[in-house]
Amino acid sequence: MTNESKSPILNVSSSPHFRSPLTTFGVMGNVMIGMVPATVFAAWHFGLYSMLVVALSIAAACGTEYLFNMITKRPNSLKDGSAIVTGWLLALCLPPESPVYLPILGSVFAILIAKCFFGGLGQNFMNPALAGRAFLLISFGKAMTNYSYDTISGATPLAALNNGDYFSLPDMFFGFVSGHIGVSVICILIGGIWLIVSDTISWEIPVASIVSFFIFMLILGGRGFDITYLAAELCGGGFLLGAFFMATDPVTSPMTWTGQLIFGVIYGFLSAIFRVQGSMADTTTFAIILANLFTPLIDRIPVPQPFGIGKPGASVIPSLEELAAPKKKALIPAAAIVLTVITLVAGGALAGVNMMTASQIAENERQAKLAAYAEVLPAATQFNFDESLNAKVAEFAETGYGDGAFGRVSINEVAVGTDDAGSVIGYAVSVTSMEGYDGEITMSVGFLADGTITGLAFTTITETAGMGMKAVEPAFRDQFKDKNVETFKLNKAGGSTTDEEIDSISGASVTSGAVVNAVNAALDFYRNQIAAAG
Amino acid sequence: MGKYSFRGGVHPRGYKELSAQKPFEVFLPKGDLVFPLSQHLGKPAVPVVKKNDLVKVGQLIAKADGFISSNIHSSVSGKVKIIEPRLNNAGILGESIVIENDGEYTPAEGVGEFSDYTTMTGKEIIDKVKEAGIVGLGGAGFPTYVKLMPKNPEEIRWIVANGAECEPGITCDDRLMVEHPDWVVNGLKVVLQIFPTARAVIAIEENKPDAINAIEKEISGDDRFSVLVLKVKYPQGGERNLVHAVSGQYMESGALPASLGVIVDNTATLAAIYKAVCLNTPLYERGLTVTGSGAANPGNYIVKFGTLASEILTFEDDIRLGTKKVVLGGPMMGVAIPNLDIPLEKRNNALTVLLEDDVETAQKQMTNCIRCGKCIRVCPLGLYPQMMAEAVERNNLQRFIDVHGLDCIQCGTCNYACPAKRPLTQLFKQAKPAAMALNRLNQAKKEGGK
Repeated sequence: MTNESKSPILNVSSSPHFRSPLTTFGVMGNVMIGMVPATVFAAWHFGLYSMLVVALSIAAACGTEYLFNMITKRPNSLKDGSAIVTGWLLALCLPPESPVYLPILGSVFAILIAKCFFGGLGQNFMNPALAGRAFLLISFGKAMTNYSYDTISGATPLAALNNGDYFSLPDMFFGFVSGHIGVSVICILIGGIWLIVSDTISWEIPVASIVSFFIFMLILGGRGFDITYLAAELCGGGFLLGAFFMATDPVTSPMTWTGQLIFGVIYGFLSAIFRVQGSMADTTTFAIILANLFTPLIDRIPVPQPFGIGKPGASVIPSLEELAAPKKKALIPAAAIVLTVITLVAGGALAGVNMMTASQIAENERQAKLAAYAEVLPAATQFNFDESLNAKVAEFAETGYGDGAFGRVSINEVAVGTDDAGSVIGYAVSVTSMEGYDGEITMSVGFLADGTITGLAFTTITETAGMGMKAVEPAFRDQFKDKNVETFKLNKAGGSTTDEEIDSISGASVTSGAVVNAVNAALDFYRNQIAAAG
Repeated sequence: MGKYSFRGGVHPRGYKELSAQKPFEVFLPKGDLVFPLSQHLGKPAVPVVKKNDLVKVGQLIAKADGFISSNIHSSVSGKVKIIEPRLNNAGILGESIVIENDGEYTPAEGVGEFSDYTTMTGKEIIDKVKEAGIVGLGGAGFPTYVKLMPKNPEEIRWIVANGAECEPGITCDDRLMVEHPDWVVNGLKVVLQIFPTARAVIAIEENKPDAINAIEKEISGDDRFSVLVLKVKYPQGGERNLVHAVSGQYMESGALPASLGVIVDNTATLAAIYKAVCLNTPLYERGLTVTGSGAANPGNYIVKFGTLASEILTFEDDIRLGTKKVVLGGPMMGVAIPNLDIPLEKRNNALTVLLEDDVETAQKQMTNCIRCGKCIRVCPLGLYPQMMAEAVERNNLQRFIDVHGLDCIQCGTCNYACPAKRPLTQLFKQAKPAAMALNRLNQAKKEGGK
């Protein structure tokens, strides 16, 4: 009572009265600091235009969030910094010379549809930046995978690796290659280590994903313990950008350390399987987005174990001496054991399934091939294999056929088609071009004895839907049918008049060219190796 | 020596250096003293004095009502002015005895006389502890004599003196161990008299080297005693963590440490036991730390119960301009008080004066939960605060119980760590009573079903 007149107004609230200095903006700010090295490197390596891409992406992200909040009468949430992070992250995985609409559309999609529509910060179920990137990949596949810059050809190191071309691992590590804006592995690592050191992310997801990716690539990659190959796969395709910056997005990853280990393994596994088996060049985006879908479930799995529940008490009370002695530390941390077990079990299961199904798969492939032969050479009732032809095929198996005259193609097999009486009707040649827009294209080409093409059938083709995939449609495929020419030429303009000319599929000249080359190779092989030998 | 730690915990900014080297000063109040009848866990005490009665230092003024309750003694000599409701610790009006201080401090008969505990039986010691009105001085205020009467006395193996003092800023237990290690150790010896086969452990955080040295010196040569050094971390002084540290056993929710053969008492409580049993001095004063960014004169004081906070802290001299908050206790678990006309009592170990109010700032910084999982990583009990908060926000009390929300000790660690500044502990405090009711209902249903 004595001091009432002088008493200031004291705040009253429930404890605790202390709060850590870390705020949501602080967390986001740390992520931004982590992205600085890669961004600065990109400005220097790709030129200032790439910074315009970054700036546009951030501006579009912030603008979208601001407008959405304004229109829906929500408090302005820009100050938490998450929109900046989303825009910036999206930019880091765009090509450096993206047309301006890419970052803008990507950010709008990321913020509006993947984030705001789900309730804003903390409510989205998939990483907004990656949702935006997935949207761009599907909608603007060509622009999104055009990694050329400064008129330097756009083959990324991973593409070179898959094609068997030369690439430099150190260049890849430092980022002196073509690729997305955040291409420098060392800059990503510096940023990632900063994130861990600053306690912004925990180590579980990056470590679990990198280790499991490595192990799964070892199992699935088919090149065994080829350290150059494994390192290149690890450094390429934005896997590490994903491991440190995207998969660790707190909102869309599990909260507990066991959950984060499981999540990391899922990301590593999906990335590896998409790399090896997938049809898309891009693996990181979809691996993380799919892993995000597991998060709510993973968070429910580890039931909390409060102090004392589910743990039987030690039966012997330790003596004072034991108390005083430092506890023995396990040689291998529990996390590593858990991680190894998960990976081994998953890998083992995969290998087992692979072994069990291998013969079945081979049988299926043989059937598919025979069906293709029958399709291209309908008059034949039986297909036989000739040892001398097999030997000729084997002759070129190592080097590919034609010394590059047809691009990188190989002749896989030649089957002799006969009728019921056993007389030869023609030949079916299985040929693969490695130069499809999205990997290998394998097809069978049927020939009559005089060299007339009877048809074309694809056994493996994974081109872009609606574009390269149009190769399987009769409009393109039947252009080769019933023609007897020396060699085919691709006519990109269309409106072909001669037998030699093949109209290109609109917007898919790479695919069309690969098919024409493959047919030419088969034709050449037929004329010079089969027909010549009689 | 190995240092005990646990998974989780945080490191709030410490400022123990403000008062750690300041010796205790005895603070003599001048104004009236206010003795709330409820200074402990359990039923309020019943006054045994009436208006205008003359009382002396150490005289019983209110008697325990029932098993879980505690006696209250006068800390001054003087006259009972009135018995009426006054603002108390909890921020509400509670029945209190107001005594006019004559400034003489005349002790009551027998107070301060020496008794030899070694000749006493366990029952005699427990009765003296009960008479002296000793409760847990760490903050809970649980009557200590009840703890000394476990169902299984022969199974008690460990007596733990909790000197962790992990709350930021508070140094009164530290000073007690530095200045009077004999009080603490003798208090332990008195308790060991009740449990002759038990051993004693003094648990101290490693940021109190002076206290560790003083205690180690005091116990040297007696192999019943040892010091357990704890890593500096909040909340290191949690009872379940300490029980685990000494017994290697995990204490279940709702269990008493005694069920695992452990009795945990605060160091200040043990000193009070020593004084009550050996010096026939009931509990009427205690050590209290004045600290915080807004405290002009941080230090440690021996404070008589009933002294108003406004006597120790005056706005003219002791509180810096711009102070936003005064907390009774430490910043992590203490209670913010609306004004200083609140009497200090058994459970108060500190007055924390804060220039900045983090809670006020946090309200401005609050965002949606970003699911970072920091709360899960820091929870000393291994709970999932994020899921508990989600359950409360959705009014799903069953889910709150399912994720073990009732195990929460409301230490505020998750709340401290949360970058999104979600009001986690507040939600749990709010939900706990209703959740407990639901839990009882569930159990009743289950039993009814049988």
